[in-house]
Formats: sequence, structure tokens, C-alpha cells
Amino acid sequence: MVFHPLAGAQLYLDPGSGSLIIQVLLAVILGAGVAIKVYWRKLKALFGKKDADAALSAEDETESDSEQQ
Amino acid sequence: MNHAASFRDPSGFLFTREGVLYRQVNQSYAEDYRLLIESGLYAALVKAGLMVRHEEVTQPPADPTQAMCVLQPERLPFISYPYEWCFGQLKDAALATLTIQKKALEKGLSLKDASAYNIQFRNARPLLIDTLSFERYVEGQPWTAYRQFCQHFLAPLALMAYTDVRLGQLLRLYIDGVPLDLASRLLPWHTRFNFGLMTHLHLHASAQRRYADRQVQRQSVARRVSKTALLGLVESLENTVRQLQWKAGGTEWGDYYDATNYSQAAFEDKRQTIATWIEAIAPQTCWDLGGNTGVFSRLASERNAFTVSFDIDPTAVEQNYRRCRKDKTPRLLPLVMDLTNPSPAQGWDHAERESLAERGPADLVMALALVHHLAIANNVPLPRLAQSFARLGKTLIVEFVPKSDSQVQRLLASRVDIFPDYTPEGFEAAFAPLFELRQRHAVHDSQRLLYWFERRT
Repeated sequence: MVFHPLAGAQLYLDPGSGSLIIQVLLAVILGAGVAIKVYWRKLKALFGKKDADAALSAEDETESDSEQQ
Repeated sequence: MNHAASFRDPSGFLFTREGVLYRQVNQSYAEDYRLLIESGLYAALVKAGLMVRHEEVTQPPADPTQAMCVLQPERLPFISYPYEWCFGQLKDAALATLTIQKKALEKGLSLKDASAYNIQFRNARPLLIDTLSFERYVEGQPWTAYRQFCQHFLAPLALMAYTDVRLGQLLRLYIDGVPLDLASRLLPWHTRFNFGLMTHLHLHASAQRRYADRQVQRQSVARRVSKTALLGLVESLENTVRQLQWKAGGTEWGDYYDATNYSQAAFEDKRQTIATWIEAIAPQTCWDLGGNTGVFSRLASERNAFTVSFDIDPTAVEQNYRRCRKDKTPRLLPLVMDLTNPSPAQGWDHAERESLAERGPADLVMALALVHHLAIANNVPLPRLAQSFARLGKTLIVEFVPKSDSQVQRLLASRVDIFPDYTPEGFEAAFAPLFELRQRHAVHDSQRLLYWFERRT
């Protein structure tokens, strides 16, 4: 029996071997990017609270924009 | 009757009974379905206008041996396909899919497919119509639908933006999205300097080639993609898609306008006549064939008809769509369609995707400033044009542009005139066997004629 790399019960798409490999490789780089971004935001929040608030309120605006529909 | 396109996913399927559309949810999907509802994801997506609403109903299932429950989804008046969308529509559908994936991850679920066919447009906004697209997210697992997202969205969008907008039509040829190796070959070399396209498209294609015949071991990928990394992946796709732009002929959208050869008085009279006729006809659905940027389509949609505005020109459709988005125009759907070769029935067993005609007939078909393009530029004999219109709609508003008009002269300039029947009399004679003439109106200050026909029963 061949092990399937993913364990989803309802998995019906073939994720593709090459697509999985590239995803795992990218995950390392992009995950690090997200982690740096999060820490950077926290750092900014620590020294200049305004910036972080502005970023948050910008996100809220996008949310309410989509909710109007 | 089971829906012809709803067979791949074992989680459930669509069926119609007495003309009503239902979705059976199978037992095997019960846990994921409950999580979708109980996590609040379903409610959040419906509230955000990103997902189709449904009701659980007591209707007997189509396949009781597997059924968990039956849903009745909100039914959309028209199903369109990605190869009929303009660039902006495909891009918005891609971004909506990624937004949905991010919201799902927040609630402990993940999209198990990212098919462009799962998105439809309602009031110029993308909407997920497949309720069974979610599965429980298990920390560490890669995104199953990554490949599908790149094939269905990223590859065609990149090709449209960087190579040629007409390559969006590759989606018609490749029903599961554009193969990445093909996209990689067709894209200009400089796209390798774009981080998103280099990784998600070019490197992705190389990895697919390299690992085409190899089985990836479970240990090698499972639990390798943390949630943070997965979010990074989704955000990277989002940035890549967001950066893709298409400018028609390098111009700004504001510079594009409808080029017409008739006077303001003629335009006003034409508009007024059509508006009055639409009010008398009161159609529920309208197809505006050759609708350009949708000026006349809006006469129907503003009078409560769900209107599809078809045009062959991707620039006109893009312009129309952008205006719909900006004005939040309800009931109007702009689509790219070559009427000399309209969307065929295709996919598995010729039934997965419906032809244009199968999605009709519309209550009203409008064909304004179109007949000369079909009859003269494409040599369609007028009786065959009447046959086609009779198949697509019950009522017809059609404009006849005579040979003396400069638009027709332009079409005839480079060819021999082999159209002796292309006269108002010839036109009326061709339509008479299939249609009953209700009204005929000579447009003021022009040589054009408007006809209101009813299909004979």
C-alpha cells in the first residue's frame, strides 16, 4: 500500500508531487517572512503605537467594505 | 436528476427535483459540514457576501444510502464559466478564493479545492457556490488545492497580463486550468524576476516536471507546513495576483469610450424606444448580444431583468465590469463571448459545462448593431441568424443597420458584396417564418431600424 502524503478524509484532488515539494520549500521562506512581519509589527507597536493602530483600522475598513455586499 | 458537473467530489452532489436545485451532503462529509456551520465560517462568509446562502430542507435525498442531509442553495439566474470572464473578473475571483481560504484558516478549516468553476458573480461580486469545498484544517499539512489555484487562476491571469489577454481562452481548452509548464513557456522571460511568478509558476512548473513520476513519501511533506507558513503562502499568492494588471492597448481605462457613428439625437431615440419596449415586455432575463460596454444592457437590468451583456471585445467587457463594480450595479453580468463560436457544451461526457444555448432561452434577447457583423463579416445567411436568435430567446429586440450606413460600408470596403438579400425587406422576410413582428421603428436622424419580434410558438 502506498502512503498518501496527506491524510484528509475527503481528499479527492491530487495535490501533485511536484506541487507539494515546491509548497514545502516555499513555506520555509514565506513562513519566515510572515514571522518577521509579525515581530516587526509588535516591535513597532512597542515603540510607536499609532502605526499599529493605523494598520489595524485599515484592515477593518477592508472588512466592512466587503460586508456591505 | 443529478447535476452533470457535480461528480468529482465524494462529499455530496447537486440534483434538481421538480425544477428546484438541491445539494445532498454525504455521511462521509458530515464532520466537515458540521464544522463549517458550527465554527461560524459559513455565517461569516455569507455575511461578507463571499458565499452562497443555503437552507437545510427536509426534502428526501437523491441517494439515501449515503445522505447526511439535503440543502437548498440560493439559485443564481445564470452560471458563467472562467473562460467567459474578463481579466478583472478572473482576478477578483482569485482574490475572493484567497480571502475565503484565509477566513477558513482562522476558523480551523481549509479549502480542499480552489476551482475557478466554484466561483460565480452576483451583483458584480465574486461568490463561492460550492458549500462542500471545506475540510478540517490539520496543522502542518500543505494546501491540497495549491496546484489547482495556480492552474485555474495564477497561470491564466499572468498570461493575460504579460503575454496576451486572449490567452484567457486557454481555460476553455484546459478544463482543469492552464498547465503550468505551458504557462511557463508562454510567459516572457522577465517574469522570472517577479518573485511570485518565479516561485508559484516557473519553479512550480519545474518541480512538477522533476517529480512527475515520483511518489512523495508521507514523512517528507506531512507536518512540514506550519500555519504561519501556510498563511505566508496564501498572502504571497494574494500579492502576486494583486500586482497583475492588464491595460488595454496600454491606455488608462478612463480613455476608453464607445465609438459610434450616429448622432446624439439618434442615440437618444434608440435608447428611448428600447426602454419603452423593455417596459412593455417586462422580461425576467435578458441577454444583450454584442452589448459592448453595456449602455443598452443597463436599460434592461435597471428594469429588473437579470441581464447578461456579452461582447467579443475583452476591453469593452472589462470596462463594463469595472463600471458594474464601481456603481455596485445589480442584476448585470458582463461576459466575453464570440457569438460566431459561442461556448460549447464540454467537459466529461459533453455535459460538465453547458453550451450558451443550453443556459437559455432568455426572456429577451437584444441584438443591437450586431446583425451586420454576423451577416456580413461572418457570412451568416439571415434565415440562419433568425434560427439562432429563436433558439436563444423568446422575445427579440434587434437593430438592422443598412448597407448605406458607414459601419456596414467599412465591412464591405475590402470585399465583394455577395449579400443581395441584406436589405430591410430581406431581413423581415428571413425572420417572418420564426418570429411575429410586434413593432418596427425607424431610428430618428439615422437609417437604422429597430424591430420587436416575438417567437412564434
